[in-house]
This record gives sequence, structure tokens and C-alpha cells, in this order.
Amino acid sequence: MSLFDLTRPEAPPLAGDRHVLSRLWRHPSGRAGLLAGLALMLFALVGAVWTPHPPDRPDYARALHAPSLSHPFGTDATGRDLLSRAMDGAHRSIGSALVVLGAVFLIGLLVGTTAGLAGGPTDMALMRLTDIAMTLPGLVLAFAVLGLLGPGFVNLLIALIIADWAWYARLARSLSLDARQRPHVIAARMAGIPPWRIVWGHILPGVALRLGIVASLALGGMIGAISGFSFLGLGVQPPRAEWGALLAESRLYFSLAPWLLVAPAGLIFLSVLSANLIGNALRDLASPKEA
Amino acid sequence: MIGTIRTSGRGGMVAAALARTAQAVLTALAASVIVWALLPLAPGDVATRVLLARGVQEISAAELDATRAELGLNDPLPVQFLHWIGRVVQGDLGQSFTSQAPVTQEILERLPATLILLGLALALSILLSLLLALIAVGYRDGWPDRAIRLYTQIGAALPTFVFALLALTFIVVGLQMGRVLSDASWRAALVPAFIIGLDRAAGWTQLLRAGLLEAMSSGYAEVARARGASRRRILLRHTLPNTALPFLTAIGVSIGALIGGAPLIEAIFTWPGLGAYLLEALSARNYPVIQAYVLIAALSYVTAALLVDLIALALDPRLREPRS
Repeated sequence: MSLFDLTRPEAPPLAGDRHVLSRLWRHPSGRAGLLAGLALMLFALVGAVWTPHPPDRPDYARALHAPSLSHPFGTDATGRDLLSRAMDGAHRSIGSALVVLGAVFLIGLLVGTTAGLAGGPTDMALMRLTDIAMTLPGLVLAFAVLGLLGPGFVNLLIALIIADWAWYARLARSLSLDARQRPHVIAARMAGIPPWRIVWGHILPGVALRLGIVASLALGGMIGAISGFSFLGLGVQPPRAEWGALLAESRLYFSLAPWLLVAPAGLIFLSVLSANLIGNALRDLASPKEA
Repeated sequence: MIGTIRTSGRGGMVAAALARTAQAVLTALAASVIVWALLPLAPGDVATRVLLARGVQEISAAELDATRAELGLNDPLPVQFLHWIGRVVQGDLGQSFTSQAPVTQEILERLPATLILLGLALALSILLSLLLALIAVGYRDGWPDRAIRLYTQIGAALPTFVFALLALTFIVVGLQMGRVLSDASWRAALVPAFIIGLDRAAGWTQLLRAGLLEAMSSGYAEVARARGASRRRILLRHTLPNTALPFLTAIGVSIGALIGGAPLIEAIFTWPGLGAYLLEALSARNYPVIQAYVLIAALSYVTAALLVDLIALALDPRLREPRS
């Protein structure tokens, strides 16, 4: 399954709970997901500063070597070590997904809470804006923006942000409407606390936490989407490594050297799986009946 | 709800259907404004691009002015929009910057290929997920259920294009089928459509299985069981129709992703459809083609969502009640 599909929960599975992480850790599938996610982050961090071989330098004497001890994932058609390229690509795949999600989280939080708390004509105007942004399916809108800006890594990130922010804005709006009715907010209002402090101290933290959980669950899907666009040559440009671009580079050789698929496909799989496992655990924790 | 008056059968149905259709028309209009805006928003001067596309090497100011007037670029933007939508309604999507041919004609040449592939994939994935979910619930916690659950977990974690690449490599390498030909015939569409369908079905199977299980433990299933209905009868006659609605909604949502994913899918199977056409246009900055693709994708998405909702309205009388 791909981005902008039914992988996103309708509402955040957990209420504003500060102990989400420790409860996740005690859930078997939550722990597996957290461990996988942590391992991937580590892989990306190490890959950003060190790789066993230079990731971009061709070595034609070693072209299309099968996996071995010095090249655990083999080498590609120009003799570049695939492990090094996968490590180098990791921070681009994961980092860019984090940038997009961070941006849509912030824009969504800002627009959504403004609409929800201001109400009236501001709310109407902002919500019509999200309506317009959501008339096209997300991927189609992303293609349209890419068509305007032209292919490229930064343009791809802009296109994905434009395609995805409205959904987060709507969620943040409904979360902040909900937060306004909570007893602690009503109590704060009755105690005469100034409105800006209620928003800053009593409403925003809860909304941000729940929106953040939903955004982090979308990480795997976003990595998949970015690698899809890069596979088409619309995102990361060669010789830069990125998981989707790695698949595109060597796809002509898959019938000769199927191991070239293993590292990039496996890493994309692992990142989506880790998000799904955490998502399942969150759903379990939210409704503790038998799944 | 207490106090709401049930709108009588057919009248409520027609009113709800009309309201939903009106909403779809509004959405389509909003989408067409976005699509139209792509051209004025595009970097560079439109008249210059059109002249370059016509093969004019040295552009004089007089020619530019003439082309601007011809294309109506001197009109105010709302007027330009009305002219544009007037032409679109008549089936004129402009001229391709690269080939000079009418875009409508080029689209019509490629549309059948995409419709065959996506239609077949959609049909196969609906069939597969129905079948797998029924098997999983029928053999609950047995090995078929466990195998199907594993499949849904894996399928949900593999983006469609990665799954398609893996499957294609496996078929080409493992089964020695050589090149998978793609001449856009039904026969050639079978393997790609099955691969896409298998990937799409993973999420739906999961959803349908969960829905069926929940329905199996509901009150009406209990009553049917007490009256001596067999497990198969409860599953097929009682619970399946009741889980059809969320299933239908999920399909409606996914159609957007299917249409949006077409370029990627067609690139992998070297399928000569609309998606491949869009990719060519993207690299050549062929704006009229990009515009036409986005318009067709948006309209088919709106239509598909409308159809799904109308079917849901016909199936579930509760949806016909006016919202409070």
C-alpha cells in the first residue's frame, strides 16, 4: 500500500497520554516496532558520517559482484558497494520524510488550532482552504506541483508538503475543538487564567502530542512515497543515493543480479513495518479488547 | 435518534443522492479551478512556450502579441478560466507542446491501456480480499488464518511499487518467463493487474476480516446462531452484507491512491498508458499534458467517490436520514 491511503488512523488512537513510550515498550508489537525504528535511525545516523566504502565512487573491476563478506549486499553495475549506498541513502530517505512530516505537522497544528479556537469566519475560511487542497487525491496533487516546479529533491519535498498539510490541519482542528471541552480547560477558564495561557499551556500540548503520534505513524508511508518518486527520477537525482533511487539504478540488472533488490527493498519494507507495528500497538492500547 | 422523523423510503433516497451529487459537482468545479491555474502559475511566458512549441525559432514582439491575443492571454483571469472550461467541456484540452497534436487525441489513444490495467487490478483486488477474508474468518486461528494474517502484514508494509518490482523480478527470474510483454491487451494486463491486486488486497483483507469478526460476535449473529443457522450461513447471509459498507468506503478512498499511483505502476511494467504519458510530459515541461492528466485523474476520482457513496446510500437506509 502506498501513501495517502487507508494506513492513516481516523483519529489518534491514544488520548493525550504522556506515558505512551513506556506503554508501547511493554506491548510486544510496540516494542518490535520501536526497536526496528531505532535500528533504522542508527543506520541512517552512522551512514551520514561513515560508510565502509565510498558510496559514490565507481569501481568497474568490481561490477555486479554477488554478496560477500566485504560487500554484504553485493555491488551495483558500476561496482559501487550497495551497503555503503544504502547507508548513505538512509539519511536522505528517512531525513526527507522527517522534514515533510515535521512541516505538515507544524502547518497543520498552526492552521488547525487557529481555526478550531478562533471559530467563526476565520474557521470557515481556513476550512474552505483545506477543502480546496483536498479536492485532488494526494499523489495527483503532488504530481501537479512537481509538474509546475520541475523534478528535484527539494521540489519533491515541497510538493509532498502541499499535498499533505490539509489533512493534518483538519485533524488538529477537531482535536482542538475536543480539547476546548475538556474539564481541565474549563476549570482553567473558570479560574480566570488568561486565554493565551490556556491555549499555550492547556490546549496546545495535548493537541501537539496526539497530532505528533499520528504524524510519526505516517513516517513509513512517507518514506515509501519519497522513494517512489525518486524511483521515477523525480526526486533525488543521481549519483546521490536514496532507497528508491537505488531500486531505479539497478532495475535493469535485477534478472542478472536479484540481490541488488535486497537492501533497498528490505529497508523500505522495514521502515513501513516498524510504523505499522507501532500503529497496531497504539490501537491495541487504546481499545484493550481482543483484536 | 429520538425525535428525528424518518424520511419515507424512496423520497429520502432521492434527496440524499441529489445532495451528494451536487456536492460532487462542486468538488469537480473546485478541482478544475486548480487544474486550470496550473498553466498561468507555470514559470515562463505561455505565449513564448506555445510559439517555441510551434517551431518558431526567432520570436518577434509582433508574433508574441498576436499569439497572446489568439490564446486570450490579455483577458482577465476569470474570463480566461471560463474560456478554458468552455473548451474542456467540448473536449478540447489544448495542444501538446512537444508533438503539436491535440492533447485530447493523445489521451484517448492511451486511456484504454490505463483503464484496462487499473480496472482489472481493482476487480482482482476486490475478489481476492473478499475470498481471503472469508477464508480467514471461516478458519479462524487455524493455519489458513495465520497465513493470511502474515500476508496482510507483509502487504501493508510494502509500497505497491516495491512489491511490484519484487514480484516482477521473481516472475522473470524465477519462472523463466523472459520479458513480460506489455502491448496493452487484456492478456498482457493479467500479470501486472494480479500483482497490483495482490498488493492492494492486503489492506482490504485486514479491514474486512476485522469487520467480519466483529459482526460475528454481534447480537444478530448470536440470534441467528441460536436459531440453528450454520456458521457458513451466518457468515455469508448475515455478517457479510453488514460489513460491506466500510469495505466499500475503503475502496472509494483507495481509488484515489490507485489513480495517483498509475505513473509508478506503469513505469514498472513499461505499460503504455496515461501514467507513462504524464512522466514524459513532466520531464519535457509539457504543461497542457500535465494539466490534462491532473484533470482526468481528479474527475475520475470525484466520479468514483460519488459512485461509492451512491451505492452506500442504496444499501444502507440509515444514511438517508437527514443529519442532525
